[in-house]
Amino acid sequence: MTRLAPDRLAALLLFAAAAATPLVVRDIFILDSVILILLWGSLSAAWNVAGGYAGQVSLGHAAFFGIGAYAAALMSARYAQSPWLGLAVGVLLSIGAGALIGYLSNRLRGPYFALSTIAFAEVLKIVASRWRGFTAGSEGVPVAFRPGFWTLGLGHVAWLYLILVVALLCYGLQVFLERSRVGYQLAGVREDEDAAEALGIATRRRKVQAVVLSAALTSMCGSLWAQYVGFVDPVHVFSIDLSVRFALNSIIGGMGTALGPFLGSVLITSLETYLRATFSGLKAGFSGIYLIIYGVVLILIVRFAPEGLTGIAGRFRAWRMRAHA
Amino acid sequence: MDPAGRLGPAQIDVLAQLSVSTVLLGSIYALVAVGLTLIFGIMRVVNFAHGEFLMLGMYLAFWSFTLWSIDPWFMLLIAIPLFFGVGLLTYVLVMRGVIHASHNVQIFTTVGLSTALQNVALVLWTGDYHVFRPWHSGVIVRLAGTAFNLSQVVAFVISVALTIALFAFMKWTHTGRVMRATAQDGEAATLMGIDTDRVYRLTFAIGIACVGVAGVLVSPLYAAYPQAGLQFVLLAYVVVVLGGLGDMVGAMLGSLIVAAVEVGGSYVFGAAWKEVLYFLLFIGVLVFRPAGLFGQRGAETLGV
Repeated sequence: MTRLAPDRLAALLLFAAAAATPLVVRDIFILDSVILILLWGSLSAAWNVAGGYAGQVSLGHAAFFGIGAYAAALMSARYAQSPWLGLAVGVLLSIGAGALIGYLSNRLRGPYFALSTIAFAEVLKIVASRWRGFTAGSEGVPVAFRPGFWTLGLGHVAWLYLILVVALLCYGLQVFLERSRVGYQLAGVREDEDAAEALGIATRRRKVQAVVLSAALTSMCGSLWAQYVGFVDPVHVFSIDLSVRFALNSIIGGMGTALGPFLGSVLITSLETYLRATFSGLKAGFSGIYLIIYGVVLILIVRFAPEGLTGIAGRFRAWRMRAHA
Repeated sequence: MDPAGRLGPAQIDVLAQLSVSTVLLGSIYALVAVGLTLIFGIMRVVNFAHGEFLMLGMYLAFWSFTLWSIDPWFMLLIAIPLFFGVGLLTYVLVMRGVIHASHNVQIFTTVGLSTALQNVALVLWTGDYHVFRPWHSGVIVRLAGTAFNLSQVVAFVISVALTIALFAFMKWTHTGRVMRATAQDGEAATLMGIDTDRVYRLTFAIGIACVGVAGVLVSPLYAAYPQAGLQFVLLAYVVVVLGGLGDMVGAMLGSLIVAAVEVGGSYVFGAAWKEVLYFLLFIGVLVFRPAGLFGQRGAETLGV
């Protein structure tokens, strides 16, 4: 019998715990926290597909998140159609945008790719803020709550299971990437693009595919986020802060691992929720405190444990095995 | 131009006004961009926290003016050594450890620094826009059909003076030569007995001093708030990529081009859409000439 690898076991426990939460507690605060952990984890997993597995480190993934959020919100607010339809439209638009940005910035590596993705998200932010007739500009789009699955007006328990399905989908895709031929090819591209190309891997096509898949998943989560939170505004959904956040969870958990993004999300989202609850009495600037911690944690992690928490765990296991031998 | 004389004696020659605006604005962008490109050229690090030091410069000028009524021009004397010191400290505490690390580690180190600094400002000074008006921002200078306020003109003069001083330093002093040698080939420089760690330290401090001073200079013209650095640094990325990352002369030309696009774009299309213009320019350059308008082809795929 093959034993389950420790990181798969941890992921299984994490998702099982999330699934069991509504059976134990009905506290809105707890349910909301679990939903956000799963949602931010899924978004980071989507980022990880491009940034972690393929090495296409983007700082503009908010672009796809924003496309998804706006597509769903506008579809229900402006056209009175189902947000599911908006989600589908958003995913299609993001696939197009992802293919475009992936194709155009194909030759760019390292900081150049990150810069071009930032520029892309900024362009969309400006368009969404200025195109008043369609997007309502910087006032934002409120999403009305209409009960029902088709209109995505759900209770917290239903939301939790819906987002859990999304999280499992994102996790499953990552596991697939780890074990498939395509995944190995992406790892090759990430580690040494020239060598990969010399081995006959279609590096450019693989990179674009990774960005497109990542964009589609990010957009889907963006649509669901818009419906869950109920409000979309351009300055937030297209912000660099959001793009950094997707990356941050993956880096803290471990880039290029399936568990990493979710592990990072458990830590960062809980920390944020806790600090928000603790400091909510202090009005001015409280929101800055956890972001300062974010920044410092990010610097420390990439400096001292660039392979993230899963990497630290792996090192610890290796050390223990050596101690036993 | 105005045969009926409706505009009166104070009329403005549009073309002249736009051209002079371009040069004035371009000089400030150059000061921001020169620091960024210097740090990239020598240390091979894109400083994603560059704009935050500009924002700190703006707050420094704002607080010293409102608390002790110190004029921002006088603050420059303090700001230069202060930001030089801040740069040294940041290098020692944050940058030194990642100077030989991978791109991703460097990107996220400076991104983390940016997030932390922005929110330190948010906690200390709230998210409000802080504006102040020293006497010189109300003085209008008229010249050959153009009109500008004195703050803008002096910001231009000081930016140009500092940029020229930096060029002269890089070109003619021994330290400048050592820095250029490190930029060309860090390993060979080490073999020649150059202490690259010292060079990096100095480079980062100079780059931060430039952008901090730029923050003080623009403080009478723009509002200070925690994300104030973002708009400038996004511009500086455009400038630096246009000129070729690491190329100081390219950065000067790039500044003028971006300023021209901004000034001309806001005249033709309105101020609201000017940013779209220069981001499209940015993406265009990244896609078609990633090594910059004047750079050698292929630099970007080497992943320098």
